[in-house]
Amino acid sequence: MRAITAFMNGVTRLNNAIGQWVSYLVFGMFIFILLEVFLRYAFNSPTVWTNELTQLLFGAYAVLSGGYLMAHRGHVNVDLIYSMFGTRVRAVIDIFTSILFFIFTLALLWFGYDMAQESIGNWETSYSAWNPPIWPVKACIPIATALLVLQGIVKLLEDIAIACNLSYYDPEKDKVVEEDPKGEQL
Amino acid sequence: PAAAQETITWKVQSHWPGASSSYKDSLGRLKDQIEERSDGRLKLQLFEAGSLFKAQETFNAVSRGILEMGTISPSYASDKMSLAGIASGLPFAFRNVWEAAYFHQVLGFEEMLREEAAQHGVYYSTDKVYPTEMVVKEPIESWEDFTSLKIRSSGALQKFLTEAGAAASYIPGGELYTALDSGIVDGAHWGAAQGAYSMALYEIAKYHVQPALNIAGTDAIIVSQKALDKLPADLQKLVKDVLQEQFWYRTNEYQYKERVTLAKAIEEEGVKINTLPDDVQDRLVQVAQEMWDEEGKRSDNAAEALQMLKDYLGKLGYL
Amino acid sequence: MSIEALTLLFFGSLLFFVFLGLPLAFVLGGVSVVFLYFTWGFDSFYMVASQIWSTMGSFTLVAIPLFVFMAMILERTGVAKDLYRTMHLWFGGVRGGLAIGTLVICAIFAAMVGISGAAVVAMGTIALPAMLARGYDRSMCLGVINTGGGWGILIPPSIMMILYALISGVSVGKMFAAGVLPGILLMVLTAIYILIRSNLQPHLAPALPPEERGTMREKLVALRSIALPVLIVFMVLGSIMGGITTPTEAAAMGVLGSLIAAAVYRKLDLPLLKEASVRTFKLTGMIMWILFAAHAFSAAYQSMGAQALIEGFMTHIPGGPWGIIIAMMLITFILGMVLDPVGIMLITLPVFLPIVESLGFDPIWFGILFVINMEIGYMTPPFGFNLFYLKGIVPPGITMKDIYKSVIPFVIVEIIGLAILMIFPEIVTYLPDLLF
Ligand code: NA
Ligand code: NA
Repeated sequence: MRAITAFMNGVTRLNNAIGQWVSYLVFGMFIFILLEVFLRYAFNSPTVWTNELTQLLFGAYAVLSGGYLMAHRGHVNVDLIYSMFGTRVRAVIDIFTSILFFIFTLALLWFGYDMAQESIGNWETSYSAWNPPIWPVKACIPIATALLVLQGIVKLLEDIAIACNLSYYDPEKDKVVEEDPKGEQL
Repeated sequence: PAAAQETITWKVQSHWPGASSSYKDSLGRLKDQIEERSDGRLKLQLFEAGSLFKAQETFNAVSRGILEMGTISPSYASDKMSLAGIASGLPFAFRNVWEAAYFHQVLGFEEMLREEAAQHGVYYSTDKVYPTEMVVKEPIESWEDFTSLKIRSSGALQKFLTEAGAAASYIPGGELYTALDSGIVDGAHWGAAQGAYSMALYEIAKYHVQPALNIAGTDAIIVSQKALDKLPADLQKLVKDVLQEQFWYRTNEYQYKERVTLAKAIEEEGVKINTLPDDVQDRLVQVAQEMWDEEGKRSDNAAEALQMLKDYLGKLGYL
Repeated sequence: MSIEALTLLFFGSLLFFVFLGLPLAFVLGGVSVVFLYFTWGFDSFYMVASQIWSTMGSFTLVAIPLFVFMAMILERTGVAKDLYRTMHLWFGGVRGGLAIGTLVICAIFAAMVGISGAAVVAMGTIALPAMLARGYDRSMCLGVINTGGGWGILIPPSIMMILYALISGVSVGKMFAAGVLPGILLMVLTAIYILIRSNLQPHLAPALPPEERGTMREKLVALRSIALPVLIVFMVLGSIMGGITTPTEAAAMGVLGSLIAAAVYRKLDLPLLKEASVRTFKLTGMIMWILFAAHAFSAAYQSMGAQALIEGFMTHIPGGPWGIIIAMMLITFILGMVLDPVGIMLITLPVFLPIVESLGFDPIWFGILFVINMEIGYMTPPFGFNLFYLKGIVPPGITMKDIYKSVIPFVIVEIIGLAILMIFPEIVTYLPDLLF
């Protein structure tokens, strides 16, 4: 039981840490676009790299959000009918619907890995005028999906604990932790 | 036999949007030809650009056999085909469309492309060769005019224009019109006359620049070898024959439509032809030739193709 | 299996899992994968990964985190609060005055962005708390932001119009010009609705009590607070119109403007930036994962033969040319409830456009009707990006149900607007005819 709790906390902490850092990429996008506008307008010398670098940062930023959001219940759902049930029924429903979650994410993991492996295999670059390597960003797809799957397993374990009243997970304690970092709730 | 009579349907992903003339003229023609000549045994189900796969992903999808057929620009296969750079056009190499056609079909460049693609399970066939030409808001009358330009470009031409001293930046197609209109850029290339016309660029940029930045087989049709092998022998031959005819038919037709479209733009939109002054052309050719050599370094294949090209251009008296 | 049966199953299972509370991204993705397996085989899952990669590479989407970032900074600086205080002083005497003021700001914001969601987020973070704090009805506030925020694709610049132009071959410039008057019409209609509603039920959008309306002097002093918002609008709009930036790049100008505003208010510090970036990350990530899956979903639907289904429908429409146009509006409206707009365009336009033109209708006029319909799609339940954006930023007490309910009257107003444009096509064609 302890191992399960440790696993759950570990995954959540990992996703939290990654999310924190990745969230700062927005500064990069902002600065590079501004730089491009400035260089083009003020000096009539646009670069070949700013827009593409921004695009690559954005790609990593967007896809890597998956696990972090999952940890923070940030993936939006429709609570129309769902909100009428109690905690335990909801946990049971979540266990059932998680089948679809795993079908999607595992398919994505498989083919995302396949795609990334091919890309890394020939150190794929973009073949644009700047021609940067794009394999690191492609590799973000399976990495992000793996993080999402792990967090999905944590969520499933939570739901099982709630549904079956198991002791390895205490939803009350979790709530406090969840709301502790200020301003982080959506 | 019964097996030979079954209907086979291929999924075909286009890299042209539905409104693009090539969607109907190239892909529509291909569909009609194949379906008619095979008595409906082989059917093509066409998908517009982006419906199933984005343009840059189509080669992968065909290579994996998920799609049976697709259209691409060779640059989308740059990571798989070392000849892609030469196929999508070295700047200021050919001066006439027929020269590029001869290079592909008679001198053997098409065969070289086909061999490279075959290594990825893809049968490659150039749809047509045609020019890429710029439109600008103010005419280019001197080298200074050229180097002060801000041009919307992409791929190898972006690099070329930058190295030549203009300010070339990439702007996605969706923002091209507004960028040109508001003066973020002063010029752009989107195919040649037909492309510019379809993007309504002549509304805001009245000068059509000639000669072409390049002339090349910028559109290609790719077929999954796996899908091809599954066809009965007569259908395999039929597909290849239709593709071969397609090249000559479309190259010629495209030329005709370019001329007609340009005439229409001149008539309706008051577009003028801006022929680059000789000294500007000379300097551009100089920059271009340095870039060719870089393309040649990509692989043995590329070096061989480049040498072949140079010999050919020499024979034509251009080098 | 026929495409009709597949459609029912496909959308049926989508709704089933959506209402069971599974996050939308996973419903869309999961349903796509299951159906791809049965219609196209295991290897076709590659399409899902490939669609994600393509979506990650879409430059126009870069505007989303930037505009969201801008909104998050602005909200924390106090600029927004002051702006609403000023608006309240000036228009607070009118019932519904703040809501109408919000609509005007939405329209201005729409002229700065080419996408729908950015304005929803900006107005949702800025306007929603301000209106709620002044006793406005929750449903009224949510509806106003939902509808006004969506005008980003109707008032130029607009990515949706550019897409329409690319698919249909009409001029982008004419489309842009054509969108201006319909945009204003929708704004006026919505304002009329608010005025009527708030005069019938004053508690929905209460006027400021006379003793709190302030003296002329107070009002004039308060005007200072609009200087910074005006500066930001000027930076964004000015850089687009002045040929300095593309609409996407303009988002960075917006961030710059909001940072300046924060500095002026002496709020620019590390905690603010950190918090804003985390909140931006959550909201952008939420939308991007839905987009990833939505693109896979519409590609899967396309591959099953969606276009053939629409083609089939179109051959059975009674009622002559107008019957066909109304049927097209109805089909896009229904698809708008469950699919993302780009997917709808790719599926329906290739079928619709040749018919529209052969019937002798103006494709630009049709395009505007279509874009308005897409905008309605952004806010019709159950699947609408405006709704999701809003859910992502509202205070915890507000449920999806509240948001769903709030849009109904506003959707009806937009449909009335659509009808007016069908009866008086001149409203659409006047400007493009004048300018081109
Ligand atoms: Na807009
Ligand atoms: Na909707």
